[in-house]
Amino acid sequence: MSLLNLNPQTVKQLKRFRSIKRGYWSAVLLAILLALALVAELLVNNRALMVSYDGEWYFPTYARLLPGTTFGLDYDYETNYRELRNKFEAAGEGNWVWMPIVPYNAYENDLTSDRYPPYPPSFEAEHYLGTDSTGRDIVARLVYGFRIAMGFSVLLLIFNYVAGIIVGCAMGYFGGAFDLLFQRVIEIWSNIPFLYVIMIVASVVVPSFLTLVVVMALLGWTQLTWNMRTSTYKEKSREYVSAARALGAGNVRIVGSHILPNTIAVIVTFIPFSIASGVTALTALDYLGFGLPPPTPSWGELLSQGTNQLQAPWIVSSVVVAMVVVLLMVTYVGEAIREAFDPKQFTYYE
Amino acid sequence: MTLEFGIPLSRKRERRLLGLAAMFLLVAGCGNVSDESNGESETSSDAEAAAAVVVLPPIAVAEGDGLPATLPTDLVWETNDQDPEFASPNAVKGGTLRSYMLAFPLTMRLVGPDSNGSFSGYLRPNLMGPVSFHPFTRRAIPAIASEWAFGDDGRTIYYRINPAARWSDGEPVTTDDFVFAVQFMRSEQIVAPWYNNYYTDRIRDVKAYDDYTYGVQGADAKPRNEMHYNYAFGPKPRHFHVMTDEWVQEYNWRPEPTTGPYHVGTVSKGRYIDLDRTEDWWADDLRYFRNRFNPNRVRVKVIRDQNAAFQLFLKGEIDTFGLVLPEFWHDKAQGEEFDNGYIRKYWLYNQLPQPSIGMFFNTREPMLNERDVRFGIAHSLNYEKVINTILRGDYERLPTFQVGFGEYDNTSIQPRTFDLKLADEYFDKAGFIDRDETGIRVREGQRLAFTVTYGQPHHTDRLVILKEEAKKAGLELELQLLDSSAAFKKQQEKKHQIAWGGWVSQGFSPRYWEHFHSVNAARNQTNNITSNADPVMDELIMQYRTSSALDERIKLAQQLEQMVHDSGVMAPSFQVPYTREAAWRWIRLPEMIGTPTTSEIFNTQATSAGIFSSGGLLWIDTESKEETLASRKRGEKFEARVLVQDDYRS
Repeated sequence: MSLLNLNPQTVKQLKRFRSIKRGYWSAVLLAILLALALVAELLVNNRALMVSYDGEWYFPTYARLLPGTTFGLDYDYETNYRELRNKFEAAGEGNWVWMPIVPYNAYENDLTSDRYPPYPPSFEAEHYLGTDSTGRDIVARLVYGFRIAMGFSVLLLIFNYVAGIIVGCAMGYFGGAFDLLFQRVIEIWSNIPFLYVIMIVASVVVPSFLTLVVVMALLGWTQLTWNMRTSTYKEKSREYVSAARALGAGNVRIVGSHILPNTIAVIVTFIPFSIASGVTALTALDYLGFGLPPPTPSWGELLSQGTNQLQAPWIVSSVVVAMVVVLLMVTYVGEAIREAFDPKQFTYYE
Repeated sequence: MTLEFGIPLSRKRERRLLGLAAMFLLVAGCGNVSDESNGESETSSDAEAAAAVVVLPPIAVAEGDGLPATLPTDLVWETNDQDPEFASPNAVKGGTLRSYMLAFPLTMRLVGPDSNGSFSGYLRPNLMGPVSFHPFTRRAIPAIASEWAFGDDGRTIYYRINPAARWSDGEPVTTDDFVFAVQFMRSEQIVAPWYNNYYTDRIRDVKAYDDYTYGVQGADAKPRNEMHYNYAFGPKPRHFHVMTDEWVQEYNWRPEPTTGPYHVGTVSKGRYIDLDRTEDWWADDLRYFRNRFNPNRVRVKVIRDQNAAFQLFLKGEIDTFGLVLPEFWHDKAQGEEFDNGYIRKYWLYNQLPQPSIGMFFNTREPMLNERDVRFGIAHSLNYEKVINTILRGDYERLPTFQVGFGEYDNTSIQPRTFDLKLADEYFDKAGFIDRDETGIRVREGQRLAFTVTYGQPHHTDRLVILKEEAKKAGLELELQLLDSSAAFKKQQEKKHQIAWGGWVSQGFSPRYWEHFHSVNAARNQTNNITSNADPVMDELIMQYRTSSALDERIKLAQQLEQMVHDSGVMAPSFQVPYTREAAWRWIRLPEMIGTPTTSEIFNTQATSAGIFSSGGLLWIDTESKEETLASRKRGEKFEARVLVQDDYRS
């Protein structure tokens, strides 16, 4: 395996990770899902991928909104491409519309006046998992909700880890009064009940994506500090640190270039679990109504709709299955990473 | 420790559960005796030893006010014994009606901090006043007072009370209890600023002439029915209340004696409250009260979740259940209990003032201060689609701000409907001609986008449809869901752009001053959430407010309603001119099911919808109960029944 400039230790860890099948395939699958979610507009969208009209080609997906008049329809608002497709097919004049696999977006209410939502799954209507109580497609809500939840988790993770690593390393490295002071600060800080803070914030302002990330990061950065403190403390007493210091390296250089790379295993093993907890936290908040403002697609909101409408089982079952699958995969990945990075090769985790 | 922790939580929960209450019930300053207090502040008393008894001062009368020292001799005493009786002569007394509430009340007081919980809805109607109102004719009917007369200043009423009237603890009701009511409501000890103000500003004087005759003077002259409505407050038992600076704490769990059919019986904290029927109730044989208030007991259990309550209803542990929401009526209230006829569904159309709900545009905001923009928005709101889809066609469109006041209604007003052509015209006229790349209209860099502030999570479904449809007109609506009290506060402080929600209307005539007068536009914390200010309208409002001639008032009200419509400051949404409920088949009703002023079919209390004496018509058929339960065990069926009463449909 011609991996770039990775050191043999890392290569070995990656190999070991690959050898854990369950975790490896979960990682691959998750990566594919994430990649697909990034281009969800091409797969789940009410805008056509391509329209051929009077010999001209249109690609509406990422373009500016095309009013109905563009295609000879009598309205100024956004073209309904599903209707356009049917119209072109009926007319048979050589015009055509190429729709994504799921031709709905996450906000659109597909309502008919003769039946009342939620509509059950139907291939004919292209609502493969049915609709929610206002006629929005569940696949679309799930996919865009997944993307938002994942984006949220990753952003939260970056905030938490940057703060956690800096503070944790500083505590372990400097020790003494600084360490003592921050230990107490963190102990007090981590006792702030996170749900109550969010509830208070949500009652005063509408929590936007960013405010939620910031509030949760403010309360969540402490988790990593303890581990970082311990491992820095341990590494600090190693000889290579003394050597670096003897050579005249400054504190930042010692921590940044020497200690940090040696504690990377701690950080990496925590990542998947942090992602999972980010997703669950956001879902829980949305479920309780303190999360992202409506009508943002979200799993928590679907879950709460589903539990209120048990007579429409497709809502609750879709979201529960999706959540279980994703969280299970993330956990498998985490488990595999932990095992791969474990210096004691022969320990087994149950 | 857990207890201390629990209290603020349940308080919070109660506020949340009363989602609508914060938005709808806080009709603050509405000028209505039965209205809710806003008193939320804490008592100033410090924890000294046994608080000293406070002697309430005699009624203070301002200059220019005051009742005559002796009872005028030229009074024409009236009563009402001509209107039809409406209760069923077949009604049988006895049994226990089982009902539920979502949270245990924080107090048994009816005034002071935390006294506005949902349970107060069971207590208030039992504080019977001197008169009540006939549910069909809407005329005053005798309650504690058997006769009344009007003074010649147009704002005074004299009442002669029924010597038989008793408190539920057996003490006679005297005119002194009415004098005490005003002293009590004006006192600082009750920590209820709203009541303090109402009983000082609106009730100007009260005087007992003898044990059975007293007079009340109000602030303004009004038509006679409205005089009763505004000035006929209920008595307070002087023998019961010992006023101290600790009154709020001392009386927190001491239910007051009542003059109505029920009083508080057993209280099991956190679990249930019993309302027991007063034995030998003094009004049992009065013309309009016979054959009513039949169950011996109403047990109100605490069930903290509506869906859980519904499941208990299906099991037969609760006797009745409200089904106004379409999802309950159509989807959840289905199945064998209904098909086998054990539970019956009832649908009663009534003629009550409709809540004034919809979108309120804050004219302090840029763009929304332009009438064309407001008209454009009104034509971009697809209420019809919301009604025909998620509301199952059950709701109706509210035509204008206030309807349901009989002859006061301006029936010529048609609501602005979803019409993209008209929206186009108005937006173009306002200069919003171009659309940006997301399809939203722009004018010199200004996007046609507004924030809609609301506090009812279950209205999100309705708003997302409006939002999506509005995009077609090139209008963007951002939804801002806040905690209900936060949303209410924001709207009162006029920091919103568009407010979603509205006001509960009560009484005999529509109100304009609090919602549209310019005095209330300039100030914060008022109900003029559109910041409407129009000098012509101000003048008419003041005329309407001070006029006591019915014809003139009707004319002015219709004129004002038209002006509200023409200003476009509000886009009215829905009305629900009916109530829907379900009950086990042993709960029996008169053939007519309810009256035109019935707001809840299975209400056991003396009044419903605030003023009309339409409650307490049901009775419990114990034989039928045994039969039903036995049949259910054996799997036998009865005829499934859905009873619809649309005689009063307008």
